[in-house]
Amino acid sequence: MNRKNVVHLIRVDMKSGRLIRGRRLTRFRESRFLPYLLYGGALALGLAVGAIAGFIYNGVSAVADSQLMALFHQGLLDLFLSLPTLVLIYSIVFTMMQQIQRSGVKFSVQAPYWLPITWEEHTLASTIANLLGFPLASIVFIGSAIIVVSAFMGEVAYAVFTFFALLATAFMASAITEIFRILQVRFIGAVYKSTGRAAVWVRFVGSLLFFLVFYIVYFFITSGPGAITFVQTVASAQSAVWFIPFVWLGMTLYSFINGLYAQALVFMTLSLLLISSLFYAAVMLNRRFGLYEPPAITVSRGVYAPRTGFLGKLGFSTVEAALIRKDLKAFTRRRELMYIFIMPIVFMIVPLMQTLGATGPQPTEAIPPFLFGFFFLLPGAIMATILGSMMIGEEGGAVWRIYSAPISSKSLVKGKYFFIVFFSALVTAVTGIVWVAVFHPSLRAILVALATSLLLVFALGAISLANGIRGADFTELPRPRMMRTAWNFINLIACFLAALAILVPFIPYAFTIVPFMSLRPVIELYQATVISAAVALTIAFVAYRMALKNGTELLTKAET
Amino acid sequence: MTMNYTSAVELKGVVKWYSKILAVDNIDLNIKPGEIFGLLGPNGSGKSTTLKMLLGLVQPDGGSVNVLGIDVQKDAVAVKRQVGYVPESPRLYEFLTGTEYLDFIGDIYGVKAEEKRERVNEYLRALELEGREGDMISGYSEGMKQKVALISAFLHRPRLLILDEPLSGLDPRSARIVKDLLHELKAQGVTTIMSTHILEIAQALCDRIAIMYRGKLLALGTMDELRHRASMPDSGLEDIFLKLTGTGDIRAVVEELLR
Repeated sequence: MNRKNVVHLIRVDMKSGRLIRGRRLTRFRESRFLPYLLYGGALALGLAVGAIAGFIYNGVSAVADSQLMALFHQGLLDLFLSLPTLVLIYSIVFTMMQQIQRSGVKFSVQAPYWLPITWEEHTLASTIANLLGFPLASIVFIGSAIIVVSAFMGEVAYAVFTFFALLATAFMASAITEIFRILQVRFIGAVYKSTGRAAVWVRFVGSLLFFLVFYIVYFFITSGPGAITFVQTVASAQSAVWFIPFVWLGMTLYSFINGLYAQALVFMTLSLLLISSLFYAAVMLNRRFGLYEPPAITVSRGVYAPRTGFLGKLGFSTVEAALIRKDLKAFTRRRELMYIFIMPIVFMIVPLMQTLGATGPQPTEAIPPFLFGFFFLLPGAIMATILGSMMIGEEGGAVWRIYSAPISSKSLVKGKYFFIVFFSALVTAVTGIVWVAVFHPSLRAILVALATSLLLVFALGAISLANGIRGADFTELPRPRMMRTAWNFINLIACFLAALAILVPFIPYAFTIVPFMSLRPVIELYQATVISAAVALTIAFVAYRMALKNGTELLTKAET
Repeated sequence: MTMNYTSAVELKGVVKWYSKILAVDNIDLNIKPGEIFGLLGPNGSGKSTTLKMLLGLVQPDGGSVNVLGIDVQKDAVAVKRQVGYVPESPRLYEFLTGTEYLDFIGDIYGVKAEEKRERVNEYLRALELEGREGDMISGYSEGMKQKVALISAFLHRPRLLILDEPLSGLDPRSARIVKDLLHELKAQGVTTIMSTHILEIAQALCDRIAIMYRGKLLALGTMDELRHRASMPDSGLEDIFLKLTGTGDIRAVVEELLR
């Protein structure tokens, strides 16, 4: 194995981030230190956190008795013990998520096709490259923090050992991701090929399930009580399940800290064997399937016969209807766009899991205002915001078709806006059904929430579309960007302020229903809704006019 | 076909700056209806910018652009409706099938359903895409994608074709079909503006050729006029091109490379 080749390949991967960062590409210059800034920041933060934890440890030891101190000390050591297994699971989830987002990356994957690079070199580079960015920065952060805190505890040797175990764990996780990636490409491709026309739906449903599982796992282990339960389970159950290979690194640490050096040696040898096996399995799979070409997906056969569309009957021109149909296919066939459908599901599932898991279904009167907003107002509004911002940028390199076709700004904006409003309203309907089914709200609550939610969709959809056109980014590699970062930020602020303006009329009403404030009703719910509607429709109208203006500019200044 | 214009394309004093770079430098150009016109020039000479200005995709900083009797700056959509365009590297919607893509194009250009069906099936058959038309474009080879891009330019029977490297990636049979088709369309009064680096194609196909260099129109005329201009009566377009663009000292470059 030529190590220089591995380093070269990793450097290419690191540089692929330039396009994501959106730097000026002509007369390109980049600081040599910039790629290391993240790790430097993680190191500094880790040292600071470790120092604070160390001072707290010293403070506790000054006031606590020796028995309590021993417990505290042991608790920290237990945390060290569980770190490799925790980091393994976190790294797998993170690197998998990264793989999903980096589906457009082609450079390092394609290199072995024509360059004198072995599969070992390619796999090693790819495995290490998977770790670059947040996974590695997290390890630097955790490692530096535990080394500093261990200095206060007098356990530096354990901390250093833990740090190396963490690195090994992350590599193991990355090798697993690499294996998964190859298998995913190969076998999903085979499924597509054999399913013919159904391939599009197999891909759609399969990708949604894939996203869903990982998002749920991600939310479960990174937030709320799930995370604490998870850490406690791993720390206590690790030695009981020593026979599972993925806890061997943790067991190495456990044996080392408890003075069982022979056992530590055995687990360390087993861990190294496991990592090597995983790596060579990835190499073998790359060698076997790495040159795999994605199959052509056959959607239809036979003589082409155009159909007149339903959209025409709704009053859309042929051009507008063609744009809407094209976008519908884009959002059900392009993997990087499919994830948009998962967001409303995640928005429903996470609080549902927490709420139902804790208390079971609640009666109408006891509906927390939070859930009112969450289930009905937010998913559709968020969908409108995200869809609006990406509706033009998603055209990517194929935007020349829009530029060169006889499409007026009016048709472009109308077609795109309908798509945004239709799907966001659909999401509102679905989340609303879940809300009604689970929480049985009153008819009044349903009507007001439905109206407000749709008004938010109209307003935020128009704002996001106007900004999405203005800030469109058609870069597709290493991943589709769709909207420039600055404009994304501007759009989020604009949508937040607009949503606030639309919801403000409900604030006086909200005060009147809080029992302990015993205020006289200053505004009725229906009055609040009417005022809110007026604000929303004004915002939607102005934003739509801006979108038309931005659309005209887009179509006449196609200079990028 | 009725035409109420005397020039298919008319550029007068057209200037385009990209910050400090002068991409197009005061160009005057008149292309007659039914002409096959070749626009040649080294990389970065301003050809693509000129072609984009014809479609209203790039706004000139000076001068006027008239296409098919319409001021492009005033009504770009009306121009686009009558133009078939193939860019240098056409990016297609890869998530659509060949027929879905052409269906989309037909709708965008307002082709009637029955007419669209007939034309799409004819073109698919002629360019040997039959049997693959139901596959997603992501599974097509580069040549197949180029064929789809060409069909999409021809589909709505445009009066002006703007083709940037139209035969790139095509197999010899399809390239021949496209060349013959361009000749047939010329007979029907369709104007073609073609940019290519394959000078043999330009020489064989084009009635007149313009050579651009550093944003300027260096030479314009028929092959005979260009030979006369370059004082190279028996030469082919390649030698004339190299002489006029001042890039003719090839031998010294090759010798340097072989050293």
